[in-house]
Formats: sequence, structure tokens, C-alpha cells
Amino acid sequence: MRTFVTGFAASAFLLFASLSAHAAPPAPTQVDQFITAENAGKSVAGAPAIDDLTYLRRVSLDLIGRIPNEKEIREYMAMPAGDRRAKLVDRLIADERFTDRWAVFFADMLRIRSGQTGGTALLAFVHQAVKDGMPYDEMVRRMISANGKAGKTPEVGFILGDDADPMALAGATAQTFLGIRIACAQCHDHPFDKWSQEEFYSFAAFFGKTQRVESRFNRSIYTTEGNQNRVMWPPAEPGVTNRKPVPPAFLYQVNHGTLTPAVARLEKLRAAEAEKARGAASKTASIDDILAGVDTDKATKKAPTFDVAGNAKQEIKKIDVEADLYRKSEWRHNLGQLITDPNNRNFSWAITNRVWKELVGRAFVEPVDDFKSTNKASHPKAFDYLSDEFVASGFNFRSLVRMIVLSETYSRGHLTNVSEEARTAAEEAFVAAPMRRMLAEALFDSVVEAGHLWDVKWPEGANKRTIRQAVRIRIDEEGKPAKATSVAASGAGDEKMAMQPRMMVEKAPMSGYNLEQAIEVDFSKVLAAAMKDDEPKIEMMEAISPEDLEARNMLMERQNAPRARFITRYVEVEIGYNPKFTSSMRMESPAPRPHFLRVFGQPAREALGEEREELPSMRQALMLLNGSLTNEAARVGTLEPMHKLLTGPKPDVTAAVRLAYREIMTREASAAEIAFAKEIIAGAESPVEGMADLRWALLNSNEFRYIP
Amino acid sequence: MKTPGCKGYFLTRRNMLGATGGAMLGLSMKNLVSLAAAPAAQAAAKADHVILFWNGGGMSHIDTWDPKPGRPTAGEFNPIKTSADGVQISEIFPLLAKQMHHATIIRSVAGANGDHGRATYQLQTSYNESPNLRHPGLGSVVVHERESIGDLPSYISISGEAPRAGYLGQKCEAYYVGLPGEKDPYLAFPENINQVRGNKRLDILKKMNTKFNEANKDPRLDATQTAVDDAVRLMRSPALAAFDLETEKPETIARYGENAFGRGALLARRLVEKGVRFVQINRGGFDTHSNNFPAMQAHGDTMDPALASLIADLNSNGMLKRTLVLVMSEFGRTPRINNTAGRDHHAACFSCFMAGGGLKGGYVHGSSDIDGVRPKDNPVKVPELHASICYALGIDYTKEVMTPLSRPMRLVDKPGEPVKALFA
Repeated sequence: MRTFVTGFAASAFLLFASLSAHAAPPAPTQVDQFITAENAGKSVAGAPAIDDLTYLRRVSLDLIGRIPNEKEIREYMAMPAGDRRAKLVDRLIADERFTDRWAVFFADMLRIRSGQTGGTALLAFVHQAVKDGMPYDEMVRRMISANGKAGKTPEVGFILGDDADPMALAGATAQTFLGIRIACAQCHDHPFDKWSQEEFYSFAAFFGKTQRVESRFNRSIYTTEGNQNRVMWPPAEPGVTNRKPVPPAFLYQVNHGTLTPAVARLEKLRAAEAEKARGAASKTASIDDILAGVDTDKATKKAPTFDVAGNAKQEIKKIDVEADLYRKSEWRHNLGQLITDPNNRNFSWAITNRVWKELVGRAFVEPVDDFKSTNKASHPKAFDYLSDEFVASGFNFRSLVRMIVLSETYSRGHLTNVSEEARTAAEEAFVAAPMRRMLAEALFDSVVEAGHLWDVKWPEGANKRTIRQAVRIRIDEEGKPAKATSVAASGAGDEKMAMQPRMMVEKAPMSGYNLEQAIEVDFSKVLAAAMKDDEPKIEMMEAISPEDLEARNMLMERQNAPRARFITRYVEVEIGYNPKFTSSMRMESPAPRPHFLRVFGQPAREALGEEREELPSMRQALMLLNGSLTNEAARVGTLEPMHKLLTGPKPDVTAAVRLAYREIMTREASAAEIAFAKEIIAGAESPVEGMADLRWALLNSNEFRYIP
Repeated sequence: MKTPGCKGYFLTRRNMLGATGGAMLGLSMKNLVSLAAAPAAQAAAKADHVILFWNGGGMSHIDTWDPKPGRPTAGEFNPIKTSADGVQISEIFPLLAKQMHHATIIRSVAGANGDHGRATYQLQTSYNESPNLRHPGLGSVVVHERESIGDLPSYISISGEAPRAGYLGQKCEAYYVGLPGEKDPYLAFPENINQVRGNKRLDILKKMNTKFNEANKDPRLDATQTAVDDAVRLMRSPALAAFDLETEKPETIARYGENAFGRGALLARRLVEKGVRFVQINRGGFDTHSNNFPAMQAHGDTMDPALASLIADLNSNGMLKRTLVLVMSEFGRTPRINNTAGRDHHAACFSCFMAGGGLKGGYVHGSSDIDGVRPKDNPVKVPELHASICYALGIDYTKEVMTPLSRPMRLVDKPGEPVKALFA
């Protein structure tokens, strides 16, 4: 329940206020009815439903990863109360930011690292798959099977992410897609579960022929299928002889072809879709369409300080290969079929459980990826129902999200002022919403949204300031630095280095306010670039002698050898500091470690089962208290609507405070809050500066960063 | 003033859930945090701080700590005598040579990986890379096990990224300093906000948060205010002056070297004086596949004054016996000089430089064979090196900690017994 909504003073926003006061609680959906039935006998007090504005804020954060702006609030409240929420959800699900936000979810789940070979391409693949509404089963099948040219099938990044290592892939695949933690059984029979080491080896054998190959010719990296199964049983240990390749075997029996009602609906749906596809070619841009269209000058929207576009391209170059180098992986094809079989309950359970947790704050099975006989679902009927509906929808991800956010359960408030035990019990029974902090990316983007920082909010030439900047300068043979004529730079914008002959300036290390920079990657251009890059010809690879190759590689190394000497100098430059920010959702990820996103819990995506940390830290506090993002967002730009309310001939401070609360908190300010805010503003140097203080405090507050 | 290290934050929600599984085995929560109910491994417990110079790229051992005069592989540098009887090092370190009576060199480190990534991982964590588990780096282990002292973050990484905290969690991550000496904008109010106004803002924030936290009664919200309080205490701490190198005499800065490495070394000294447990200074450019010798001469010119000044200053202010200074790299370089006058990756044998922290001075442990290809005497494996560092700090290197997947992990990989001969 929202804590500060205590009533509304008369205002110019009467319509707005009167509508928000009457929140119609949503009708229970099927899943809610199962949950209620399964809660029978438990005596837990639940939290009341949240009101419409709270819902708007919550669902905007969850679906598009940022808070709503003032215009969106007005539009939403102007909709008829009856189907306001459903209409809103339809709009958000179609928003392009839905893709950005849920690509982040999949990137966490799949442990996608841009820095890994094939990582950025895989990130672009997942982004495009979410955008296209690719059925989840197809997406997973493609990643597991991944045959074909790496540029054209960026999903090989999944196999490359674990270095094509059968053991690692077995652990990752079972845990990520099936919620089965079998990785422990690699070294010994599972201590808390039924899996034996031999079962693990048999499962790993599906990846036994998969190889990661580094081309001798151009050092490009690709996967292919060898002839030999490398997974041998028994495990290599001292004294063990007579090891034999293990034939692949799935972990359990999948009853393929059983026509449950959900599977029957799925088959009917797919038959109809196939019929439709035969009728007319799809007009929407698919991954393959984008790959065919080639316009790939730059994959980023602006000149970056870190060369993201360059990195992405280079990385794709590393994984380019001729199609002939690939062989079909029959075993992995079979594995993909088995894992994604509509009769494989674990497959639909695992994703349903994760998405439910992402939205509701607590999963049916906790931890999200640990399904076993001793760790049963809290509400099995509701869980099965939701999973079945997901299968029947054609593994339609948006439909799953839609079902959840339109449920009564999703619309529960937080339980306040009760004991820890009572709250935990209510949260476990899904009758109260756990307190969740915004995702790091959503927090960043919400500050940008609230602070009007997507675009400049000052006229050109405003905010002149002198910046002292460190520059690393290459020194010549005599040890003397070349002189810099001018160095223009800004904390968050472009960085231009004027150069003279014989002077080289190296990219400055990540320092200063760079830690709050977000550089967007255009994922469709990443995919397209993959297609365009010239690929080595097999004949060339065969024609070149090993000696020539060695010489070639030597030459490359010599060019890359970092022998230069640098010294650090400080320069002062005057700039107009009017920063703009771009979305943190579309960055290469994970971000560099000291970056805002990592500080706020973006995971390293290395370890299996890693969750986002929501713990507060001093570093987080320092970043929001003193960072440029919050500080710039708090300042009232002259081009903002707020500015007129505070500076015109008839300043209206009350209206300005109301606007601040709507823009930052998505709610009306209470009478007490308005009085407190007016005190702050009256005590400041000017109303504009007082408003900046208020906005700074609101942006730093707990209420802002925790999802209502 | 003492605050707990990163331990207190270790039990995240996930770990709590993991604990449920453990409870079935009859383990209490306390045991889950530390499974080392077994007698703690003995520890030297002399050192309280570590300054680690991480030289990325694979630093040539022959051109630094293990000269091979007279061999065809010796290269261009001559060995020089040092202040330690019978100990010779490369001529690229003339000043450091005068401090060698404080230092220890291990000339028989036996690495296992010739690839930068894998070798870096092992040298920094003691473990070989594992595809779905991230082991914590040395600095994270130290701040996990030793409580912090003073106001400053207890683990600071300068000029680059230190290894990750892995399963020990975000609280054991390093505080990052981009350029030593450059003002860290996050440690003070923004330029346009003066102290009075900044404090006023903090008051407003506190009022808002108090109201919200009281209405919601969720312990995690209180932790957010604690984090703000910690941040403000740091912003107001006199210890922050340690970051400001402008207060040093220009002669001192010049003595360490007017460059990132020299400034890093100077900053590291100032930080440990304020109680920082672990400082890592990162430097790259050691991957000398070609033109090894001019590159190493340049590295020597930079490293020599910085390391020599640091050891001398720590000694004169009495900090050296409690501060372990380390110079490490992921591997050494081939004795063979290739046809572009470079040396290539060499993991089988290389050296590690150590000083202070209760170690013997003027001591060389182990030796390499005639050309520096393989260890000859007393080979030291990487986990043994890590166990020795933990031993110096009084940390139980055999201690097991639960990962988020409820897998008990030793802080230092097996077999990792400390090399007791290193200690005085």
C-alpha cells in the first residue's frame, strides 16, 4: 500500500485527483482463484489492492523499465476506469522499451556477457527475439542447436558463452531451462538430490561432439561438431582405465505427443499459424529480414567514449566462418527438441516461475532454478495453470507477462506495520507484495525520465563551466610530451581530442562521472553488421602455409604491442554542460564494474544461479548523493514545464510541488508534503534552487527506488 | 572506530534460502557462514594490510627478479648487487636494490596456465577458472576475513579493475579509484552545491526516508539509511585527505615518480596509513612479445622509484612490518628471445616479489633452473602462494564459505599450505 497518499487538496487537477481516489480493485482471474483455493486453511492477513496510480508506476517499471511521465499519467487517468489497466498493459507490452527491459531479464538468465566471444551478437539476438515475439521454445531451441554460420545465427553465442564445454553446458542448460541443479553431480553424486554422476555425464554427452575452434587463419572463433564424443565414463581419475564415450541420454522420460488440453490447444494454434504463413509472407521485420538488409556504418547512436560499436563489430568478426565449417549437430538438435517439448513440464515451469518472481517478487519454487521432490511449488495448481496457459499460447512470452500483471495477485500492496513473520507468511501466500528495488537499469532510466534528461533542458550555451580533466599523453623517444593544442571534453557527452602530429592521446581510464554514462547499442545494426563482414575463404585458409601464418600473426602482434609510454597531464576546458542521457537498457552489458549499473546490482553474469543483489551499499549512496545523474535531474532546466511555474509573473509554487510529486513519485503530494516542500523552497536562494533541493531529495529517497 | 567487514552483509536472501537446504543436514546458520568448525589453520598474523601491484600481461622474470647472467637467454640487462647479501636483481631496479634487505623474492612460482585470462584468474584467486562459479580475488578474501578499520573503504583498487568478489558478494568488491590523485567526484557534493546546502539536502532526505521507513517497517529500508549515513560519514571524514596528493610535498611526488604508477604507490601508502586493508594498483603493458628490452627498461624506470620509495617510507614510519607489499603478474616470459626481440608467455616458472608484513628480509625462496625454464628448488604452487599471503594476515586459508548455490568453498584452493620458510 502506498504510504503517502493521504488525500488531495483542491487543485487544478480535479479530474485527476477524483479519479485516482476511486480505485477499482481488479476482478480475480483464474490464477487468483487457484491461489485463493490453495491458501484455504492458512490464516494469513493480506494487503489491500493498490490504487490505479500506484499500479501505473509499478507496471510501467516492470514492463518498460522506467516510471511514467506526467503526460502518460494524464492519458492513463483519462481512460475509462473499467478497462484502464488492461488498456495500459496493452500499450506497455507494445512499447519498444518492453523489448529493452525484458532483454535485460533474458540476458541475466542466460548469463550473456558482451565481453565474451559472441556475447554482443547473442544479446542482439535475444533483443530481436523479444521484439519479434519469437516463441520462447523456438528461441531456446535455436540457442541449444545453433547450427550454421555464426554471423547469421548469433545464437551460437550461447554455446560459446560456456566455451563449448560439455560439462559447463550441461549444468547451465539443465539449471537455466529446466530448473534442475545438476551441476553438483559433475564431480560427485548430488548431495541433496537424486542425480547421479553418471546421469550428469550422459546428459553432458549431448554436447560431447561440440567444439570451439579458433581459426588458424584469422583467429576467428566458431563452434562446430567433431566426430568424437569427448564425454567419457567413468570420470578421469588416477587408476581409472578403460574409459568409454557415453551415449547421450536425457535426464528423464519426456512423454512426447501426449495430447493434454494445453498441448492440444498449442497444436491447434500452430496449425493455424502455419496455414496463415502459407497464405502470405510475413510483413514484419524478423531477424532474418534484418540480417538481409545491410546498412551498417555504425551500430551506436552517438560517438562513444568507449568504442562499443567497434567492439561489437570486432567481436562478430572473430566469430565469422564459412558455412562449410559447420556440421549439423544431430545430438544438440535432439536435445533442443526434448528440452522444449510441450510435454516437458520443467521447461514451461522454469520460465513461468522466473517471470512470476520477476513481477510478483516471490516465486512458486524458491530458489527459482531448484525444482526437486523436496522443494515443491507453494501453489502447485496455480503454477500448473499458468504454465499450461503459457504453453497453449504458443510459448508467447508477452501473453505470460500479460496474464500475470493483470492478476489480482500482482495488484496487491505491501503489508506494512506487521511483524516480520506475518509479512513473510503473507508474501509466501501471494497475498502481499514483497518490497522490490527497481532494477539498476530501471533506476537509471527513471532518474533520466523524471529529470527530463533524455534531451537537453537548457538553451544552447547555458551552464558554462570549466572542467579539469586528466589526459594521458604519449611521450616521444626523448621522453618529452607532445603539446596538446586543445582538448574539449564533457562529463557525459562527446569527447574530442585535438591532435597534433607526433602526439597520441590514449583513451582515459574510467574515471570521474564516466561511471554514470550509458552508451546505446543499436542491436539490429549489430545483427546486420554480422552479415556484412567479409568472411575468410576456405581455399585461402588451405593455401596459406603455417610459416606464412606465423609471420602474419607476428606482424599483428607487433602492431598491437603496447610499448608506448604515457604521462598524465591535467587540462582545463570550458564547456556548456547540458548533458543528455541515453537508456542504460541498451548498453553492452554487464557494464564495467565501477559503473552505476553494477553498483546497483547488475550481475556479472558469470556464475550459474547468480541473482541480482538488492542490498544497499555505501557506494550506491555516494553515487546517488553526489553523482551527476541525480544532480542534473534535480536541476530545473529552463525548457522544462516546471520552470514556468516557478519563474513566471505569477509563480505557482503549489502547482510546481504537485508536478514534482507526479513526475518523480507518480502520485499526488499530500497537504503535509506540500507544506514541507513550500518551506524548503521558501528557505532557498530562489524557488528554482529550492525545487532542485526538493527534487534531489525525492530522487534519493527510498520511496523513489523501491517499487510501490 | 571499528565496523564489521563485508561479512555482515553476506547473508543475502538467496543464502538464507540456501540455508534451508543445509538445515536438513543438521547444520545451523552459524555453521553455514563458516563451515570451518575444524581447528583454524595456524597463522603468522603479523600483517594487517596488503599493497598489491598487479602487473598485467605477464612480466618477464628473467629481466626483473631472476637474472641469468652469461646465458644466451639472459637478454640485455645485467644483474646488480643489492643491499641483501648475495641477492642480485636486474639493473632496471637500481633504487629498489638498496631496499632488498626488506624484501623476499620467490623464484620458483610454478604456474599452470599460459593464457592471460586463465592465468590471471588463478594468480588472483588461487583457483582455476570454473565456468559457472566465480571465485573471489585476494583482496575480497582479505576484507571478508579482516574487519575494516577507520572510515575509508577497506578494499581499494587503483588505475583499473581488481578481481571480482565472486560469491562473497558486492560488499567485498573493491572501491574503485580511476586515476590516483584525480578528485573522486562521488566523495563530495557536486561543485554547484556548497556544504551548507548539501547538508540541508541531507536533512530533507533523512526526514523523507524516516517517514517512509516508519510507515513500511522493512529492515532493508533501514539498511538504505545506514548506507547513506556511512556515505556521509566518509564524505565528512578527515581520512579522505589521504586521497588528496596535492598535500604531499612536490619532492615526495617526484621521488615516487610523476606518473600513475608512482602516484598509485604514494596513494597506497597514504591509504594503508588510514587503515585501508587492501590496495591493489593495476598496471598493464607487460605482454612483451616484441621489443621486450626497451619496454622492460621503461617499466623499470617507472616501477623502481615508486617501489623503492614506498618500501623505504613504510619502513621509516613503522608500517612495513604490518604491511605486505606484493608485486605479481599472471606468468613470466620465455627465456628464449624470439625473432622480434620479444619474449613469449611462460607459466612453468616465474617470480614473485614480496616485502614487509612479517616476512624475512633479504631472502630468496626457491630457485629456477639454469635458464629460468622450470623451478629447481622448492617450487611454490599458486594456492601455496595464496595460503602464504593469508597466513601472513592471520586468515584461515582452509576456511570454507557457502556459495549462493550452497556449495562449500575453501577460501584458498587445495593443496594450499603456506610456505613457512618465508616468515621471519
